[in-house]
Amino acid sequence: MIRARGVSLERGGRRVLDGIEFELRPSEFVALLGPNGVGKTTLLRACAGFDTPATGTIELDGTPVHRLAVAQRARHIAMLSSDELLADELRVRDVVAIGRFPHRPWWRFSESDADERAIEAAVAATHIEAYLDRIFTHLSSGEQQRVWIAMALAQGAPSLLLDEPTTHLDVRVAHNVLGLLRERTQNGTSVLCVLHDINEAAAVADRILLLGCGRMLALAPPAEVLASPLLDEAYGIAMHRARTEDGRTIVVPAHT
Amino acid sequence: MLYRRLLPPLAALLAAGVGLAVGGDALPFSRILQALTNPHAHDVAHTILWQLRMPRVLCAALVGSALALAGVQLQGMLRNPLVDPYLIGTSAGAAVAIAFALAFGIALSVLPAIGFLGGLGASLLVAALARRGGGIDATRLILAGVAISALLAASVALLSVLARSISFQLTLQAWLIGSLAGRGWNDLRFALPYAVVGAVVAIGNIRSLDALRIGDVRARGIGLDIERAQWSILGSATLLTAAAVSLAGMVGFVGLIVPHLARRVVGSDARALLPASAFLGAAMAIAADAIARSVIAPRELPLGIVLAFAGIPIFIIIYLRREHRR
Repeated sequence: MIRARGVSLERGGRRVLDGIEFELRPSEFVALLGPNGVGKTTLLRACAGFDTPATGTIELDGTPVHRLAVAQRARHIAMLSSDELLADELRVRDVVAIGRFPHRPWWRFSESDADERAIEAAVAATHIEAYLDRIFTHLSSGEQQRVWIAMALAQGAPSLLLDEPTTHLDVRVAHNVLGLLRERTQNGTSVLCVLHDINEAAAVADRILLLGCGRMLALAPPAEVLASPLLDEAYGIAMHRARTEDGRTIVVPAHT
Repeated sequence: MLYRRLLPPLAALLAAGVGLAVGGDALPFSRILQALTNPHAHDVAHTILWQLRMPRVLCAALVGSALALAGVQLQGMLRNPLVDPYLIGTSAGAAVAIAFALAFGIALSVLPAIGFLGGLGASLLVAALARRGGGIDATRLILAGVAISALLAASVALLSVLARSISFQLTLQAWLIGSLAGRGWNDLRFALPYAVVGAVVAIGNIRSLDALRIGDVRARGIGLDIERAQWSILGSATLLTAAAVSLAGMVGFVGLIVPHLARRVVGSDARALLPASAFLGAAMAIAADAIARSVIAPRELPLGIVLAFAGIPIFIIIYLRREHRR
């Protein structure tokens, strides 16, 4: 379980976030929302142990994550960032297999039975069997995102941190990808996921962690966050709320 | 796929056979075989084979495979296909050290050791300049390497202008172009341990190089200690390059081209790519050295010139074809 206590974070020497307190429980899907530049990625990186908080601690089962050995951390927390391009011509299966990295000692070059089982399970869970032998860069954005998620699943970590996994995806593919992550929470995996679409986040998450104005504004079930004026405050824009036919609340920016 | 992985070692073996068979003196094939199978005989063919050609072939193999292994690791780490092992300052450092040694009349027999130390020193300086946080910044590494190399090259040119002796200039020139003329068992014995250590570290780097293929941040996400991986790769590349430079001077292009050829043959999986690069590097250097020894025999062409004439067209063809495919 990941727990943040009294965390403040800096980026480029400047304080961006203060007063972060939360825990990511087993089997829970938490969506991380907030305007551009508020520090969502910074928070995610700190949770993955990449950066050390300026104050406070982020703990994994009681140990500060930035103190864990890199490979040990990677066996518990899988972090999938979004901003890098892949230059190399890798086959899809090779990408998934790279996820087994933290389980493999440096002197072993071939896959163990456990590696193969984990890769097969990750491939099956993400439904990418059809393009295992294709070159990764030849796939569509949605297919690529599935492959990255398969890699993170093959890593076998109980906590999954994802930075904008649905950016560049059309509405149907984004829905599928989030559904896939939602499914994973049913067997104990916890997911912390940066999203931009508020309604998308509300549809999939157990709780929403809302960042804005340099601090944590809310950590609550989606219905509460969507109803709250804190949402308008976070994004600095007035929101309209509406009800769908099936009784869910959705928000859209109000015309000004 | 398996047969493709067998191609590089076969190429190296074939090149070694050619390297033993050709040279200044035309020896019939039967006498070469005879000398090979009777290592304790005492005739001319035996001496030529065991005291001249065999150490030359092995030196060329070491130079070629060391430069190729250094190049393939640096290209993988910096994810830049145009990176050359000389980028990290090793060759320029070796050149300056050797130029000074020549200017002060130090014995030729210790030049490899001096070149090795100079190369190592310059690489450490470049690495120190490229440090950022606990790791290495790719752009800074390239800039520091280019800057330090340019400064050291200017120093070599200055020494060369100041020293009026012809023998100084000829010896220095041989080092700058890259040559294996006169290299024997003793030189090999000096360079081999460093190359072996560099190669063993390279084997340990295979796993990191594979992880780095998905990008630095993602590689961290799956548990790669980026900083440690970078220092280990740089350390291995430095040892390998310094060992090669101490033997043959500034032999160019092997470290740049061979990784590209190897990728064409076996793909970019580091487990296959590193051994393939080492074997193809050895094959290319042995073949080029065989040409260098035989075309204008009894005189020799410098290895660096042969490799440049063979290597640059190959590089251009590979790169242009790559552009066409896109």
